[in-house]
Amino acid sequence: MTTSHAAADASVPRRRPMTFAEWLRTRAWRHAVAWVAVALALLPVLWVMSAAFTSKPSITSGSIIPRDATLENFRILVSNPDQPYLRWYLNTMVLAIVVAVVTVLIAAGAAYAFSRFRFKGRKVGLMFLLLVQMFPQFLSLVAIYLILAQVSDVFAGMGLDSLFGLGLVYLGGAMGINAWLIKGFFDTIPIEIDESAKVDGATHGQIFWGIILPLAAPVLAVVGLLSFIGTINEFLMASVLLESPERLTLAVGLQQFIGNRYSENWGPFAAGALLAAIPVVILFLVLQRFIVGGLTQGSVKG
Amino acid sequence: MAELVLTDVDKVYDNGFHAVKDLSLDVADGEFLVLVGPSGCGKTTALRMVAGLEDITDGTIAIGGTVVNDLPSRKRNIAMVFQSYALYPHMTVAENIGFGLAIRKDARADIQAKVEQAARLLDLTPLLDRRPKQLSGGQRQRVAMGRAIVRDAQLFLMDEPLSNLDAKLRVQMRAEIAGLQQQLGITTVYVTHDQVEAMTMGHRVAVMRLGELQQVAPPQELYDYPDNVFVAGFIGTPPMTLFHAQLDASSAGARIVVGGQALELPEQVLQSRPALHGAAGREVIVGMRSEDLYPQQEPGRQSLAVTVTLFEALGSSIQVGFRFDGKPVDEARLGSGVASEDDHGLARLSHAGGVNGVATFPPRSTVRIGEQITVWVDTERLHFFDVETGLALR
Repeated sequence: MTTSHAAADASVPRRRPMTFAEWLRTRAWRHAVAWVAVALALLPVLWVMSAAFTSKPSITSGSIIPRDATLENFRILVSNPDQPYLRWYLNTMVLAIVVAVVTVLIAAGAAYAFSRFRFKGRKVGLMFLLLVQMFPQFLSLVAIYLILAQVSDVFAGMGLDSLFGLGLVYLGGAMGINAWLIKGFFDTIPIEIDESAKVDGATHGQIFWGIILPLAAPVLAVVGLLSFIGTINEFLMASVLLESPERLTLAVGLQQFIGNRYSENWGPFAAGALLAAIPVVILFLVLQRFIVGGLTQGSVKG
Repeated sequence: MAELVLTDVDKVYDNGFHAVKDLSLDVADGEFLVLVGPSGCGKTTALRMVAGLEDITDGTIAIGGTVVNDLPSRKRNIAMVFQSYALYPHMTVAENIGFGLAIRKDARADIQAKVEQAARLLDLTPLLDRRPKQLSGGQRQRVAMGRAIVRDAQLFLMDEPLSNLDAKLRVQMRAEIAGLQQQLGITTVYVTHDQVEAMTMGHRVAVMRLGELQQVAPPQELYDYPDNVFVAGFIGTPPMTLFHAQLDASSAGARIVVGGQALELPEQVLQSRPALHGAAGREVIVGMRSEDLYPQQEPGRQSLAVTVTLFEALGSSIQVGFRFDGKPVDEARLGSGVASEDDHGLARLSHAGGVNGVATFPPRSTVRIGEQITVWVDTERLHFFDVETGLALR
């Protein structure tokens, strides 16, 4: 960017400063759009922060910046043994991380096969994966429930009311679209690189781990991040499949604060939501480099 | 280091395309063999079969006496340089060069020593910590070479390694690669569609067309004694002028007649080409190299009246494109590659009827486009081919 600006400065004679009227006409709308976007993004955050730090029971009353900021809501959040928030937090993080990592690995493995190998059923398999994605997951909720109920009879730790079982369901649900996404990226990596490695003495495994995965880091980061966020946000499956209070995820657990008719505890709910957002934000910041890199790298060949 | 022997190798793709037909080829230990031919002639497929990147439909490939048909690439102990270089973008130059060794689990110190040695050989030492993205085309090319030579492979395979470089760099790398091969003495198979590369680099050149091997010979022999019309038309820049002519032989002597003009053939021409006797009274295909055409008369030269269609002063010589009445050789016989690749278009710039040809004249010859001139043909240096089979008559 800087170089292109410098070049433009050198070749084009300096323009006179624009008048306010000109600025209003040419640039002002961009500022307006930007501010609207910022407001849309930040207003909900502001609201939830306000609710988290206020002591008032209702979220509709009071000013947006609470005059009597307090940590009371956070104390309530962690001190009720019937609603073990910290436990949910731990459950959710472990589940989200494991699901994200395993999703990336499985999807990348499938994508590698679909991208690099030519085998019977390759096309059909790809179409099938896409087809399955067309139906929302909750269509399969009944079937999944029944399957897990039966699994419970054999392996209690993998069926209903287990995070392991829920994790498996998440993995299955996200497979298809992620495999497609990663395959699309793999397809842009020239096959000669694989072949060159093959001639250099590498096995498929070495090519996959040593060459393809590092090169595909941007798309893997995106898939991992989306999977992580998706797991944290997922409510429907978790609410149906989990029961015991100590096995809930954040989404299901927090809902209890506001779900009961006569006890709408928006304060603790907001506090809990705020804390739940922290790892997502951190992960975004860490992976941002890869995500932006992925966008630009895809556009340039080689 | 090893010899490479291909015996009756066939490649038929799943869609039925017969890419390589009955290819038999011996490459001696330490030899530099160039596989050349127009696009789609099967040369790259042949190379990829040797590399193990394509299955062999039929026949055997042996490297150093071992049949490798069923060996995966990584067990063939070969090194390959790709047209796109295929460097690993996320690794430094040093890591790229050392990749094969690291895969083999060589000791770290060994790898480093070998990488540095290769880098010195290729002038890459200052670039070892860079990534491929930060290198120029020529440097990338060198890294690809380095990756190949560092592994002590018994066979080098190169698939059009210079075609992504600009013309000047190509000439330079051409010499460098040939020199390097000489120095290392590793058996090398080099694929190219550029017949100049083929002529300048190879100990021997194998010409392929439509999956079939046409001729294998040292460059000069290929140029002087092409086995068939295709090789004659493909090898050489500017291309050989080829046309149909009637061969008449009587007790008075022999001559060829083309478009109403007759060129007398001296006794030696028939003596040195016994096969010509059998073709007497029939039509043959005649070929003339551009340097065997002269602007002045001299003994042994026959006149041919032509119209100048093109005039290109190259400094050291002048190329004169011309046309004369006669029947040109069917384009299909020469293969698509002749017309499509770089300099070969010269003789075909004008599409009007008659035979188009090229002569190389000394510098400062003065001819004008459209002018009628007489070119003098060194008849002893003519090439003759059978009309039906396209094979050389000699």
